[in-house]
Amino acid sequence: MAAESAKTVTTVEPDLDFIKALKKSGGDTLKKCMQCANCSVACPLAPDSKPFPRKEMIWAGWGLKDKLAANPDVWLCHQCNDCSLYCPRGAKPGDVLAAIRNMAIRENAFPKFLGNIVAEKKYLPLLFIVPAVLFFLILSVTGHLNIPAGEVVFSKLLPVMYVDTVFVPTAFLMAFFAFKGVMNFWKSLVDADAKQGTKRYLTPPLPHFVKMYILPVVSDILTHVRFKKCGSNRDRYTAHLGIFYGFVGLFIVTNVVMVGHYIFHIDTPFSMVGPVKLLANFSAIILFIGTTLVIRNRMADADDPGASGSSYSDWSLLWVIYAVTITGILSQVLRLSGIAVLAYPMYFAHLLCVFCLFIYLPYSKLAHLLYRTTAMVYAKYTGRD
Amino acid sequence: MADEKGMTSGSILVVGGGISGLTTALEAAEVGYEVYLVEKNPYLGGRVAQLNKYFPKLCPPSCGLEINFKRIKNNRKIKFYTLCEVEKISGSPGNYDVAVKQNPRYVNANCTACNDCVDACPVERESEFDLGMSKTKAIYRPHEMSFPMKYVIDDSVCKKDECAKCVDACSYNAIDLSMGPKTFDLKVGSVVIATGWKPYDATKLDKLGFGQLKNVITNMMMERLAAPNGPTKGKIARPSGGGISSVAFAQCAGSRDENHLPYCSYICCMASLKQATYIREQYPDAKIYIFYIDIRSPGDRYEKFYKKVKEDKNIFFIKGKVAEIEEGSTGVIIIAENALTGEKMRQEVDMAVLATGMMPTGAETKISGDITYNEDGFIIADLEKGGIFAAGCAKKPADVMASAQNATGTALKAIQTLVRR
Repeated sequence: MAAESAKTVTTVEPDLDFIKALKKSGGDTLKKCMQCANCSVACPLAPDSKPFPRKEMIWAGWGLKDKLAANPDVWLCHQCNDCSLYCPRGAKPGDVLAAIRNMAIRENAFPKFLGNIVAEKKYLPLLFIVPAVLFFLILSVTGHLNIPAGEVVFSKLLPVMYVDTVFVPTAFLMAFFAFKGVMNFWKSLVDADAKQGTKRYLTPPLPHFVKMYILPVVSDILTHVRFKKCGSNRDRYTAHLGIFYGFVGLFIVTNVVMVGHYIFHIDTPFSMVGPVKLLANFSAIILFIGTTLVIRNRMADADDPGASGSSYSDWSLLWVIYAVTITGILSQVLRLSGIAVLAYPMYFAHLLCVFCLFIYLPYSKLAHLLYRTTAMVYAKYTGRD
Repeated sequence: MADEKGMTSGSILVVGGGISGLTTALEAAEVGYEVYLVEKNPYLGGRVAQLNKYFPKLCPPSCGLEINFKRIKNNRKIKFYTLCEVEKISGSPGNYDVAVKQNPRYVNANCTACNDCVDACPVERESEFDLGMSKTKAIYRPHEMSFPMKYVIDDSVCKKDECAKCVDACSYNAIDLSMGPKTFDLKVGSVVIATGWKPYDATKLDKLGFGQLKNVITNMMMERLAAPNGPTKGKIARPSGGGISSVAFAQCAGSRDENHLPYCSYICCMASLKQATYIREQYPDAKIYIFYIDIRSPGDRYEKFYKKVKEDKNIFFIKGKVAEIEEGSTGVIIIAENALTGEKMRQEVDMAVLATGMMPTGAETKISGDITYNEDGFIIADLEKGGIFAAGCAKKPADVMASAQNATGTALKAIQTLVRR
């Protein structure tokens, strides 16, 4: 090892702006690292060969942005924070890796400018104002800019067709952008490994690939096995599980509603005791509980050395999810109470929040569901996990 | 006002009779100043008395201590008190009033060290001198060359008058179970605090298994194991029994760690290098693994020592802090990431030595008086104001050589307070 490195000269070209940006987005403790390597062992998730996060800490300290963007390991990290808890220097590798992930989301984003806009705090109002104005325009052009009379039925304000003519194409566009981002990431992972000249991996036919690498990852995600291994930050497992299954439930509900509307011509609102409504409300409640837990943990833990530091990307996502949940629950409550003046604006706010949550998915912290899943598949594919 | 007119009046109090306190006391006394030396233990010599060898010369500390004890015995300017604790220092530079509490020894000057009392005593206690690795009776001699050469009774375990077998066994009327604590006052012009250190409590390193795994010991325990007057008479053995074919040293065990001691304890790298030589001498085939963050061997002589140890083909240096120690099939498993190869290692060894650092006495016990401690418990002396100074490891982590040097300098400072114009 020593003889080898004596022969080859390694030139490190630090990207100083990258280091500064990383420090700003939650990795401010990064330079405290003294490379003692305690973290790599403290981590319950790191593999034995080339474990993280010690190597990521030095790459980050050296400003090796490309290496970090093409690194699956930062995504295998679930921020249990055992590394930060046992870090002798308060360098908080857990937080630094979170900051690196923020950077990786931005780096892989397609188109790039959306990644940059979503990552910057100063653009936050813009992110909401643009769709709000768009929605107002749709309402006014279609003559719906008023509080409909009679029983509160949300489709009176915005007929399903209008909602869907905006949501569905946007969803497809975003899915395409997300796919581009994921492919960028996948390619960078493959290229990085090829550059290392370590191993070549055969690509099996797609069904085989799905069965061998994707399905096990999906199962890992559904059971949260990796999260469960976390030592010091165990309560995040329960909280994240609540949010995750809350969304899964609501995703099912949305699809059922779509199918009901377009195929069977059954319209909302559904019966309060019907299975769809029960699932919807159950999901909303666990989503609310999960989000509340996460927000509470993040607020309470500020002084705990093992706790996560929280950056703009953490808070913006959490508050948007919270807003989606609360406006959703309130919309229903107000609708049932028949308070039309409040129910319709609340529904409008709910739609706006849902819209924002999903169109910014490939660029916000929510993009972790794309990149972490990709990295986990890659890790399975390359035998790393 | 007398002291401000340049009178050479008053005396010096040295708190702590380890190598730093001894040095300060002797240096000041040998230029003619009156010195009181108070020591908490029943013997002088402090931590150095527990060591097997000094680095880098690998000579035993006993000869140096013996010379110092002889100098004390021959110097009428030094009055020393063992089993004493300073309760309070009041007053100002040149004029201090010090309240001292002396705990009872229960053994008077008649003691001839015949050992009859020990044979008679039915109560056993753990020896703190051997860090719990041996037992003494409730009446005991702290160690083979303890000075003053007097036995002492540990009154936390002694049954006193209920038992009194030692009193009957003693032919010299040397044991007095009715002794109680005394307090007395000392009037001095300046004070030097040389209260030293204690090894950081390794049970606080929750991942390193100390206290749970038998074959995990500390570096100070290794000194005792290797010392001829130690619990194994100098034969290094595993606590679980048997010889040794491999040993790992975990550097920075608690030091340079914000969760424990945030500072570098200075001596542990050199101590482990030295202790590696102890093992290699006794076990010619043993493999030694030293896990480090970076080896700190400051200065030319220490660097040379490090290089010499490094030449040994059976000593392996691994860059990576030991993060966890687990029970192994026969020994213990050291888990660390080798930062140079980026591979996580699980190295099974017969025994692990935690290179635990120095915690200054001031971290737990602060002397009441005009003394400033930093947040870690080290004393920050106000040299401008004078009066009270610190020497040795009460001031900063230091090896014996540095302690002796700064103790000498501190003696001069203490004298300056007395003669200040």
